This record gives sequence, C-alpha cells and structure tokens, in this order.
Amino acid sequence: MPNPVVRWQIISAEPDQAAGFYQKLFAWKLSTANALGYRELLSGSDDGIDGGVWPAQPGTPGFVQLHVEVTDLDATLAAATKLGARVLVPKSVLPRPDRGPFRDLSVEEENVTRT
Amino acid sequence: MVSFRQNLLAELARRRTRNPRYSLRAFARDLGTDHATLSQILRGRRNLSPRLIRQFGRRLQLKPDELVEACEQLNTEAILRLARRSTFRPNSRWIATRTGLRLDAVNCALHRLIHQGRLVMETTVRWTTTPYA
Repeated sequence: MPNPVVRWQIISAEPDQAAGFYQKLFAWKLSTANALGYRELLSGSDDGIDGGVWPAQPGTPGFVQLHVEVTDLDATLAAATKLGARVLVPKSVLPRPDRGPFRDLSVEEENVTRT
Repeated sequence: MVSFRQNLLAELARRRTRNPRYSLRAFARDLGTDHATLSQILRGRRNLSPRLIRQFGRRLQLKPDELVEACEQLNTEAILRLARRSTFRPNSRWIATRTGLRLDAVNCALHRLIHQGRLVMETTVRWTTTPYA
C-alpha cells in the first residue's frame, strides 16, 4: 500500500478567516452542514483531496495536519518512533469528515511529530 | 484531573497551614469576592465562570496558560454535564446554544474530551460519556 495522504486540515486560531481566505482565493466550496459545524473546503475537482479547517486550542499556534492512510497503524507508529518521532495524541477513534462527520467511526488517527 | 475549585480548596488549605487563623472571609477578600460567593463555589453549590476564574487567577498570580487551562476545563465540564442528560443532542451548534459557548469553543472542548477518553462519538446520533468523565 502506498500510504497516501487522504486529507488535509488547517488548525487555525482564526478558523473563520482561514476558511474564508481559501474559499475566496481558490473558489472552493465551504460547507458547514454537519453535526460539528466543521468547515469543509471542497474543490469540486476529481483531482486532489479535500480538507477542512478546525479551531486551534486556545493559546496554541496554528498548523497544517496531513492525514495519511496506513494499513497497520501500530506498525507505522513503531516505525515513526524508531525514526525519532514522538506520539502526541494517543490512538483514538475519530469521525471521518471526509466522508461526512461521524459516518464512519472505524478510523483510528494518530498524531506524531518529529522530536 | 484537578479542577479550579479543587485548586482553590488546596490553596485555602495551604494558607491555613501557614496561618491557622486564616479564614474563608480572608481568602474571599484576597480573591476580590465576598465570602458567601466563595463558600458556594468551594462547596460546589455555584459554578465558576470564566470571569471569576480570570479574577481569582490574577489574584493567585497564576500564569496565563494556567488560566487558559482552567477556562478550558470549565467548557469541558459544561459539555459533560449536558452529555449526561437524556435530552442531550450530539450537535455542536445545539451544545453552543445550551452552554452559551462559541461554536469553536465547543469544538475545542469536544476535541479535548475525545482525546482525554472522556467522551466517545459512537455514531452520528450517539455521543456518550465514559467512566473517565
């Protein structure tokens, strides 16, 4: 499996402004019609991947998250740790905004960062 | 997880250790409030507000990030109280309306609750608290 990036997410202290900026710049569709009011940015193209904007925790800087699909999460984490990464967030079951929030809860997400 | 209320109780106990005659009234004065309000808060009869947390935090010389953390805890606790009710609706906008929080504040709090293992989004229509909540 090629481990593709399946989604991107901008974590922003000013999510409305961030979403509005990219909506205007690229003429992307902004949708918040979901249970979280999650700001989904949809290009409408068959190419590339869609993403969204999520509010940053107060007092923390913004950043961009890449969601990479892997077949074996535990093995990937072990490999990442061996390469010098540190696990920031424990393995969690999260909604799948790319398929509509909460439609599929079977996905496990892990945040890692290089130390 | 230690709440701001528990921190206040611990601070009062510390001050009483240093000075056995230190009273609740004195503590209230030092926090810039009246003793009846403080008494209700310490007994859990009255909820703290972000305004009170900021006021008390300044008097206790808490760091800005400690104040932010205390206010965030307030938000998560408010959501957990709602989530335990049978009338709870798994919808951020509904939660925002009921708690008076901004939508983004609700979502930040939900994010924390999920990662703390205190709330589970089981399905689109079922978000439940856990034994850790």
